[in-house]
Amino acid sequence: MAHATNHRNLSLKFLIWGYIIWSLVPVLIAVIYSFNDGRSRTVWQGFSLRWWITDPYASIFRNDETRNAISNSLVLAFATILVVTPLGIALAIGSQRIRGRSANFVQGLTSTPLITPEIVVGAALLLTFTRLFTAVPLGFVAQLLGNVTFSLASVVVIVRARLVSIGASFEEAARDLGATRWQALRFVLLPMLWPSVMASLVVVFATVIDDFVITSFLSAGVSSETVPLRIYSSVRGGATPALNALATLLVLTSFAVLIIGLFGLSTWRKRHGERGGLRAALADVTQINS
Amino acid sequence: MGRRDFLRNLAITSGAITIGGSLLAACGGSSSTESSGLSIGTPQNPVKLPVTTDAIADGLPNESGTLEVLNWADYQNPESIAIFEKEFGCKVVTSIYDTEEAAIAKLRNGTFKPDLILGMTDTGLAKLIAADLLQPLNKSYIPNFGNVISGLRSPYYDLDSQYTVPYFIYGNGIGYRTDRIDKNAFASNGYDTLWDSQFKGKAGVLDSYRDTLTMAMFRAGNFDANTADAAIIQKAGDDLVALREATNPKVDILAYTEIPSGNRDINFTWSGDLFTALQYLPENEAPDVLGFWYPEKTVAKNDFMCITKSAKAPVLAHQLINFLSDTDNALLNREYVGYQPALESITVDLLISSGTIPESLIDALVTPEKYEAGLAQVSLEPAVDALWLDQWTRFTAG
Amino acid sequence: MARPMDTLYRWLTQIKLNKSPRLWAGFAIPGTVWLIVLFAIPFYAVACVAFGTIDPVFRDAVPQWNPLSWNFVQAQQIFTSLATGPLQGVAIRTVVYVVCAMSLSFVIGFPIAYFLARHAGKRKILLLVLIIVPFWVNYLMRMLAWVNLLSVDGLFTRFMRIFGVNYNWLDGSPITVILGLVYGYIPFLILPLYATLERLDWRLVDAARDLGANSRQAFRLVTLPMSKAGLVAAGILIALPMFGDYYTNDLLSRSPSTEMIGNQIDFFLNASSQPQNGALLVLALSLFLLLFMSFYLRSTRQQTRQVTR
Repeated sequence: MAHATNHRNLSLKFLIWGYIIWSLVPVLIAVIYSFNDGRSRTVWQGFSLRWWITDPYASIFRNDETRNAISNSLVLAFATILVVTPLGIALAIGSQRIRGRSANFVQGLTSTPLITPEIVVGAALLLTFTRLFTAVPLGFVAQLLGNVTFSLASVVVIVRARLVSIGASFEEAARDLGATRWQALRFVLLPMLWPSVMASLVVVFATVIDDFVITSFLSAGVSSETVPLRIYSSVRGGATPALNALATLLVLTSFAVLIIGLFGLSTWRKRHGERGGLRAALADVTQINS
Repeated sequence: MGRRDFLRNLAITSGAITIGGSLLAACGGSSSTESSGLSIGTPQNPVKLPVTTDAIADGLPNESGTLEVLNWADYQNPESIAIFEKEFGCKVVTSIYDTEEAAIAKLRNGTFKPDLILGMTDTGLAKLIAADLLQPLNKSYIPNFGNVISGLRSPYYDLDSQYTVPYFIYGNGIGYRTDRIDKNAFASNGYDTLWDSQFKGKAGVLDSYRDTLTMAMFRAGNFDANTADAAIIQKAGDDLVALREATNPKVDILAYTEIPSGNRDINFTWSGDLFTALQYLPENEAPDVLGFWYPEKTVAKNDFMCITKSAKAPVLAHQLINFLSDTDNALLNREYVGYQPALESITVDLLISSGTIPESLIDALVTPEKYEAGLAQVSLEPAVDALWLDQWTRFTAG
Repeated sequence: MARPMDTLYRWLTQIKLNKSPRLWAGFAIPGTVWLIVLFAIPFYAVACVAFGTIDPVFRDAVPQWNPLSWNFVQAQQIFTSLATGPLQGVAIRTVVYVVCAMSLSFVIGFPIAYFLARHAGKRKILLLVLIIVPFWVNYLMRMLAWVNLLSVDGLFTRFMRIFGVNYNWLDGSPITVILGLVYGYIPFLILPLYATLERLDWRLVDAARDLGANSRQAFRLVTLPMSKAGLVAAGILIALPMFGDYYTNDLLSRSPSTEMIGNQIDFFLNASSQPQNGALLVLALSLFLLLFMSFYLRSTRQQTRQVTR
């Protein structure tokens, strides 16, 4: 009996490591090929940095169009964060505290974008901006509105989870001590929301910088081309390893933000006497408790 | 059955078109369902396009700043553009389009707001004009217009070249790998090779409903590239469905990378793609691995450059047209693009003598005779266009 | 615009005013209005385009903003086409691909989540991190990686040739597309599955085993019923984006023979001159998915309520 269990455990272990290899090794190979000396993305011809920096035309940091895409991506991500964070925090607090039919309505409205396929949101916004709100030009502005709409729900989810775990007692205590509702909110609740705000920043940044569908539906040519759009349009062409380099850069950027975020989160927790450290920080970001 | 009767029948039989027809009748006040008001020129009936606005004045200074170009992918030499930028102290940014019809839709809805459009053809011109998207050219900025192939200086689709200057010329045919397909495979009805199931998964056709449906029509012996005959259009759709079942072809405009990389053995495409493909050959591959079957009777045409009405840098746009119509610049541009510039001075002999064209691709060059014999492909009346698109959807929907 | 906004505000604030102070409603308003304007109204716009008319010259859609004048001629054509006509293949294929990809994802994902939740031991954090990593790797990068491996001279293709397998993976093969979907979406399945299994009270399973159930019975009679809601929710969570996916297909196949409904939507809206058809397909897809979505929202709302209590 015990023997059988061990046997099964072993095969499960096999499966899980197999899965991890399957999910990560292809990506690693693609990263390695960004350093290929030749033009091929599939046949290794020696190591070089030509697709990263040395080639004057094609390397990602020296090619105008690529640099333009990188800056578009960053601008879009930061702009989205600026708009969506306050909007999302307020909506999370508000929607958690109103009651009755309007509460159901608001909750339904906030959760639906989370599970609506992106193509549906993208298509709907495209038709809206080209036929109804024609004052909104396609390109950066439309992409910003679209990305805020799509990522609003995730901010609300993250902040609400934190609100639930904080509970009402702190604010009530403040109120008992004579604080107004607003003061209790401003000086007690908001500072405690900080981890969820940081987690939202990380999640929104990663979502927007990776977003392909909405950004592509709402783009207006090269002036609003982002990195994923550029990758997408060249995967099918005769692209060089510069494409791998660009994709690698994208991955590195999201990881950098993730790691900074995790580090910030666990430091914050330590400083404020909350338990959990890295594990809790991971849970904040993934919304999965481990 | 006359053309008019035919279209009227169409309007009765097809729901979608009935709406279009009645709407039109309501708007235009005329009861005719045929005339859509599109200015469609054909070789038999050349058209002088209507002009609703004046061209820019003579002698204006170049704008400073950015020139926005809309073009096909890999259809301009970055090096040429860099020279132009330096010479005119401006920045050129290029957006990409994949199909002509989508590009026109996006020009109308504001997705694209370029100054200059490169590579459009007469199949889209009537719509561009009807949508009032173009501005007439002021030729005083384009002295190099005189370099254009003489037969194209007042083309049937735009008499007196009011709006357009030719860019490249090409013909429709089949690109293939000479190491996998013998030239003789195209000896009888060459198109049949494309339908040969031994190339399953290694075949491709153009993502262009006009070109690919026309190709199916040619294969069946129907040589009207602008047919309004519903039965012929339907047959072409049927044949493409059969093609899909036989070889499962890719539908894109990537023959120029996919044939040299070895991903495809055979691809219905534009002749110029094979010259572009030379650049994409792996380093150890001989150029004569690329072959092209140029059918005796096929579409041969030119695309053109035109300036949008809303252009913010119309002078620079004129300058780039002029720049690209210069023989030396056009040759440099060709080095990257591969296609044949539509200039009188750039003859087939000149290209062959440059030594860059392998024996196997001599046939892909468009000689004046081939161009002369080429079939024209013009804009379609909307009701007919609808029939074409419906068959295309049948094919692409798999 | 003043009046509807006023009404909305009153509606949001007056309901159960005694229990919900204006302050909280005030917090909810900006976000709610944002979502109404940029999420709800766009669906209305889709309907107005779908049930509008077509410009006779450009075949562009002319939206009909008044629902009373909606016309359903083109809708009828498209829905008929989906049911019995040229688009039938697309509809069937979409469902088949998603069902296959889902099943395969469960077959691979469930044991992994199970192992993580129960037997990972001291390696748990490491394993969890490794499993979360793909989440943060751009989807296009993950597809690009496979495009490189599967192309004619790609490493994987060359590797398989050693075993005499000479297959054109990227030639429009349904297998590649389905595996691509699995590869793309499985991380989004494993984590929620893990979360569900982690929350289970495994003592009940142990009790069942103690009472003589064999492992299979314990799984069927205890584990499965207890985790069913979570499994279904996780399944829906990946089914929804798969139904709307077009880029996986586009990158790994790009052949008419593997077109899914997302590809058709993308085609009609972005690559053709007939947006009305695109709007109609968006509508058809949304209606189809509404079933799943309402089910998912109901089940998560129940879960939220349990958590809140």
